[in-house]
Amino acid sequence: MLSLPVAMGYIPLGMVFGFLFVQAGAAWWLAVVASLVVYAGASQFAMIPMLAAGLPLASLAVAALVINMRHMFYGLSLLKDRPQNFFLRWYLVFALTDETYSVITASRPRPAANQMAFLAGINQGWWTLGTITGAGLGAQLPVSLSGLDFALAALFAILTAEQWRVSRSLVPVGTALVAYGVCSLLLPTHALLASVLACVIAGLLAPSIAKRIR
Amino acid sequence: MQTAYVLTAIVVMGAVTFALRALPFLAAKWLRESPRIMDLGRFLPSAIMVILLLHSIRDLSQRSATPYFLAELVSVALVLVLQWYSRQPLLSILAGTGLYMVWINLGRVGPV
Repeated sequence: MLSLPVAMGYIPLGMVFGFLFVQAGAAWWLAVVASLVVYAGASQFAMIPMLAAGLPLASLAVAALVINMRHMFYGLSLLKDRPQNFFLRWYLVFALTDETYSVITASRPRPAANQMAFLAGINQGWWTLGTITGAGLGAQLPVSLSGLDFALAALFAILTAEQWRVSRSLVPVGTALVAYGVCSLLLPTHALLASVLACVIAGLLAPSIAKRIR
Repeated sequence: MQTAYVLTAIVVMGAVTFALRALPFLAAKWLRESPRIMDLGRFLPSAIMVILLLHSIRDLSQRSATPYFLAELVSVALVLVLQWYSRQPLLSILAGTGLYMVWINLGRVGPV
């Protein structure tokens, strides 16, 4: 059910990615390959100007490392109930974006292991569909999509409300607010990664805090 | 752009991203035995959700350029209230996104 809000965010954003990728001078099918192989929104957007400038592969690798480093911690919440099937298990790992992770961890009851992989696949389908459409339209993108990307913010808001319903603990919410507030002031360009790292450290240093969460 | 260069770049970035996402699963055998890590795994989702929400608000406001995150904060508040009372994600997302799109596009055209 919660794949619908993801679709509302992924299709337009995927379209913008495909569109910009083609505008930068690459073949349309390469945009689709990027959405199939990389499948990480922010780093896909970041790669466009870097590719256009012909930067060395090492720079692109470092960019992917920094932009996606927070994903390193997402698996920690899924260690117990990942799919048994080898292919499904590693596909889920591959496709663990912010949105897929959020939907899986906010759902109660927690989706069955195979359902998680299925959900991840549907979400990547939306993203790829958007990319194909955007790349295909190329220069002639008809309507202004400005503001439609609010759908992803709305998705995170919905999931925050649902998380709050099941575990009314101010601790993670407060930790996140403080961490993001401080990090966006001190490290505006890396606020996302820095604040996730701060929460990981807080959770490790104060296990009694983490323990109270269901 | 040269096809071979773009393809190689895609593979490199894909490999880095996959490696990051796979890291905890590769060490799953050891990590699962640490109660501290399992607690952390339960703590992180709520915290990360709030961070992603805050980050997308900041990200949007850089493009919309309405003062004081006003359009973003009001629209997010609408989504939160609707979701809390209605429990209907589609309603919440449509209402919030609709309000936001109207707000920033009117703001751009008219003297609002």
